[in-house]
Amino acid sequence: MVDFVQNLISGVAVGCIYALAGLGFVLIYKSSRVINFANGQFIAIGAFVAYALAVWGKLPVLLAALLAMLLTAGLGFLLERVFLRRLVGQPIISVIMVTIGLASVLDGLMYLTPFGSGNFTFPQFLPQGGLSLGGINVSYPQLLAIGFTAVFLVLFSWFFQRSVLGVSMRAVADDQMAAMSVGVSVQRVFALAWAVAGLTAAAAGIVVGAVSGLNQDGLIAIGLAVFPAVILGGLDSVPGAVVGGIIIGVLQSFSTAYLDGLFSQIGLVGGGSQYVMPFVVLLVMLWFKPHGLFGTEEIERV
Amino acid sequence: MKRAMILVAMAFLGLVVAQGRTVNLLWSGAVTGPTSDVGGPYGAGVEDYCRYANEQKLIPNFTLNCTVRDDQYQNPNTQRIFEEALDRAKPAIYLGYSTGAMLQLKPLINEVKMPTIPASAHIGLIDPPNNQYMFLPVSSYSEQVVALMEYINRTTKNARIALVINPSPFGRAVVDHARRAAQRLGQTIVDVREVGSGNLDNTALLRALDAAGAQFIIHQNVAGPVANILKDAQRLGLNRKIRQMGAVYTGGSDLIRLAGDAAEGFLWASSYYTLDENAPGINLQKQLAQKYNRSADILNSTNYTAGMLAAAIAVEAMKRAAQRFNGRIDNETVYQALIGMNGPNAFKPGFAVSTKAGIEIDFTRSEQTGAEGLRVLEARGGKFVPVTEPFTSTLFRQVRNP
Repeated sequence: MVDFVQNLISGVAVGCIYALAGLGFVLIYKSSRVINFANGQFIAIGAFVAYALAVWGKLPVLLAALLAMLLTAGLGFLLERVFLRRLVGQPIISVIMVTIGLASVLDGLMYLTPFGSGNFTFPQFLPQGGLSLGGINVSYPQLLAIGFTAVFLVLFSWFFQRSVLGVSMRAVADDQMAAMSVGVSVQRVFALAWAVAGLTAAAAGIVVGAVSGLNQDGLIAIGLAVFPAVILGGLDSVPGAVVGGIIIGVLQSFSTAYLDGLFSQIGLVGGGSQYVMPFVVLLVMLWFKPHGLFGTEEIERV
Repeated sequence: MKRAMILVAMAFLGLVVAQGRTVNLLWSGAVTGPTSDVGGPYGAGVEDYCRYANEQKLIPNFTLNCTVRDDQYQNPNTQRIFEEALDRAKPAIYLGYSTGAMLQLKPLINEVKMPTIPASAHIGLIDPPNNQYMFLPVSSYSEQVVALMEYINRTTKNARIALVINPSPFGRAVVDHARRAAQRLGQTIVDVREVGSGNLDNTALLRALDAAGAQFIIHQNVAGPVANILKDAQRLGLNRKIRQMGAVYTGGSDLIRLAGDAAEGFLWASSYYTLDENAPGINLQKQLAQKYNRSADILNSTNYTAGMLAAAIAVEAMKRAAQRFNGRIDNETVYQALIGMNGPNAFKPGFAVSTKAGIEIDFTRSEQTGAEGLRVLEARGGKFVPVTEPFTSTLFRQVRNP
């Protein structure tokens, strides 16, 4: 039983990292119906900026993290102004292609920096080890991930339900033309979505860096690994991203704990089912509930 | 006028002769992308040794043209780079990188008769078929893992061992040999698990291995995933119960930096000298890193040593080819120079340990491993220190091709 609970909690902690990384995805999709393929690059940039400020700028890690989140938000805002604003009203596929191009350009720019190759670690800013209770152990970076996710979930829930700007974002997502006709600034909404996506991506990158060190390839991979989580939760649902992330995290933990052992017993070498299971779930989900658990079901009348 | 033209032509000819001819060397590997923590310093090692070789004129009358390309760990890129090099400036020797790309290119390398020194130490590269032109600078991954199993056997009989490997041909290279070795040593391989980078939590893995009764974990991976597993083992208190160790690319300064004190006690099989040792190759490495303004991370990396060793072997083979074949350096003469690098002609650059007195790197037509010795090192007080003398795995020779 202790093993089961430990695996469950470890899965939830990893799921919270996926949720954090997925929030940026959801915010942009929710406001503009655009899938941002440069999400992984945002995560990496946020983490590396925090590292640079902490190690080279000699700032305290938490202050560096805060500044990095703001700077990555600024980058999101800037990219929207320079590249994406011109595409308002254009076919969605064009905008998606631009995000793929952005991912490639940002990758290339990062390769030109010292972060393009090698592993880096934040200076120690959390106590070593973790919290133990009744044989259950959670590391401090994992607790940080859970904390960040909880804070962002509450903030975004309030923002989209209660604030004028949040409601404007939902209106733009629903129908750009209608929103514009009632005076909503679509451009402002888009810019804000990209800025907030940058902020949450940086938070995810910092948490991943605290958990497992910084490596460009690994950080970008997290950005893509959240695809199954956000599709499972529903691409336009903030709580969906969190629930989807946690389900995927727990599923990975359980498959490592229980499935891989079975595979070994029947002679299949290697296990590794944690890499496959999210995509199995993704396929099943797309099959039966393509809009995800909490996503908006769009009904088209013909 | 005629006399002036002849003088100009002669002066030009003299300039060309004085400058000497150019000989090409190609390295392609992951400077960026997956495993770039290995490929970056490795490529830097190749680059720096090439600069040093030109400055010191290690190949008399020849200018060494080293092409260092980033394939981003993508096999199609490696293939394109290699084919491009064959078409444009046929290199005399090829320094390869990843296991997957090298296995894919093996038939082509054999077809074009290109002597190749890969960074990968996958034993399949020097096993038939199409293995004639492949030369491993140091002992293979499989030998390193079997040597670690022999080391375990010195203190623990009938040990229960788990293998944690990279989900790639690089990781899987060792599994069959480890199973065969375990059978001979009376050990049990309790589980084989694949773990790649981005392993954010290893609780389930470690608890499952603990439940399976694993006393030892042998890693065949790069440092990043291993460091995460070590940190989680420490957090769960399993570091006292399960001893962890790994083959050459798992350890070194990167692991210490990433895992911190969780790396303490980690055992590492490596053929290379460490930076704290007084060996000619290591001294040269320090000198070149300073001269070419390399960062401390690069200088401290064993992969930087590995890149230099590969380049040193290549340069020495080209030099010997020029001496033996009247200044002819091409793939055929370099191959002959490599397979003649043995006995009194063995090469001793001082980067790797050896079990044979005075011999560090030797190759023959049928023995395509350079440094056959290795040591087990242990992480103590933030650095790796040798805990064995250099040795060669006798068991590996028995389980290699049963």
